[in-house]
Amino acid sequence: MTLELFNNEFHLITGQLKSYLLRITASVPDAEDIVHDTYVKASSKLDGFRGESSLKTWIFTIASNIAKDNLRAQKRWVENVSDICREEAMSNPAFFGEAMHIRATSPHGAFEIREHISFCFTCISKSLPLEQQLCIFLKEVYEFKIGEIAVILNTTEAMVKYYLHTGRAKMIHIFDGRCSLISKEGICHQCSELNGIFNPKQKFQEELVKIEMARAAEIADKETLLDLRMKIVQEIDPFESGASELQLHHLEHNRNVMEKYV
Amino acid sequence: MQNGKARTEKKTFSRETSVSIDIQSDPAIIWKLLTTAQEYPRWNPTVISIEGVIAKGNKIKLKSALDPKRVFKLQVKEMEDGKKLVWGDGMGTRIYTLKGNGRGITNLAMSEKIGGLMFPLFASQIPSFDGSFEQFALALKKEAESIQSLSK
Repeated sequence: MTLELFNNEFHLITGQLKSYLLRITASVPDAEDIVHDTYVKASSKLDGFRGESSLKTWIFTIASNIAKDNLRAQKRWVENVSDICREEAMSNPAFFGEAMHIRATSPHGAFEIREHISFCFTCISKSLPLEQQLCIFLKEVYEFKIGEIAVILNTTEAMVKYYLHTGRAKMIHIFDGRCSLISKEGICHQCSELNGIFNPKQKFQEELVKIEMARAAEIADKETLLDLRMKIVQEIDPFESGASELQLHHLEHNRNVMEKYV
Repeated sequence: MQNGKARTEKKTFSRETSVSIDIQSDPAIIWKLLTTAQEYPRWNPTVISIEGVIAKGNKIKLKSALDPKRVFKLQVKEMEDGKKLVWGDGMGTRIYTLKGNGRGITNLAMSEKIGGLMFPLFASQIPSFDGSFEQFALALKKEAESIQSLSK
């Protein structure tokens, strides 16, 4: 493969790669650094690419290896990350001051419930064991096949299936106990709270019915609700969406809180 | 071949319960389920909790649904990757063995022998393991086959 062809291909998948790395690291600088390091490593080893997998799989393999090295040195987050970070935010007036400024001035500063659902998924996925988190994103959001994920994570298809199954089961359990959008017992109302702060003129229930997952909450099974949640995640580009700046600001806050907490 | 039906052999100084079941799953999946302590309560109704890491020489604390108030302090005595797991205490030994048939089916055999010189004094107070063994084997089969059947 020529460097020119590689550059073209790399450019085409950079957006997906960067969003994948953001979702697993919860850090914009880390995601950007790993994209850069992946490019440097991959472009210097083009002779080693034999086409046994797609170039995209090969690039995601290199990126995942770099990310895993970083992430293994960090502790995993906790299931109630939203509660802990909410308390920190409430006691930090600067946080809401900055957020309101972004909301008022940035073209990417909207608050949208779907975006917050996606953001929340990123945060809670960081409480899963690393392999489960990576498998879920690679399969359910970035649509890699199980065989490709086995290559990316240097494991077997059987283990990818195990990580996917157990990761999904944990996410279902967590959201079933926490998310008031899908469960009457859900203890987290952050979507409605934040919508009230950032969109005070909006009627939350009217916004909610626009979201398929919320409409299906009472009739769909838990697996389907998780699939609908992950469909929302898949449809959102965390760097380019209309709410990206507000959500990235929120993510940075949560990361800072979790780094001190865990 | 027991196909999920437990049986117990009673002797004066010991009692041994065993069960065997065929599972349509890669043995690696079954092995991972058997050796990941914190996952047990999610798929296995006979286990309330297992604390610790299941690795050779380690000690683990197991709470069983058969006797929820008691904590069994067990030592992992043997681990042969993907094939055999043994844990136990001074009273008894639990053995799990996996054998693949090369055609996508793995046989799980599980047995527990309890006994000793004092065994006849309290044998009547120990509940039967048969129902619990059958539940365990069926739950493992269901979970492993569910994982194996994930689409590509």
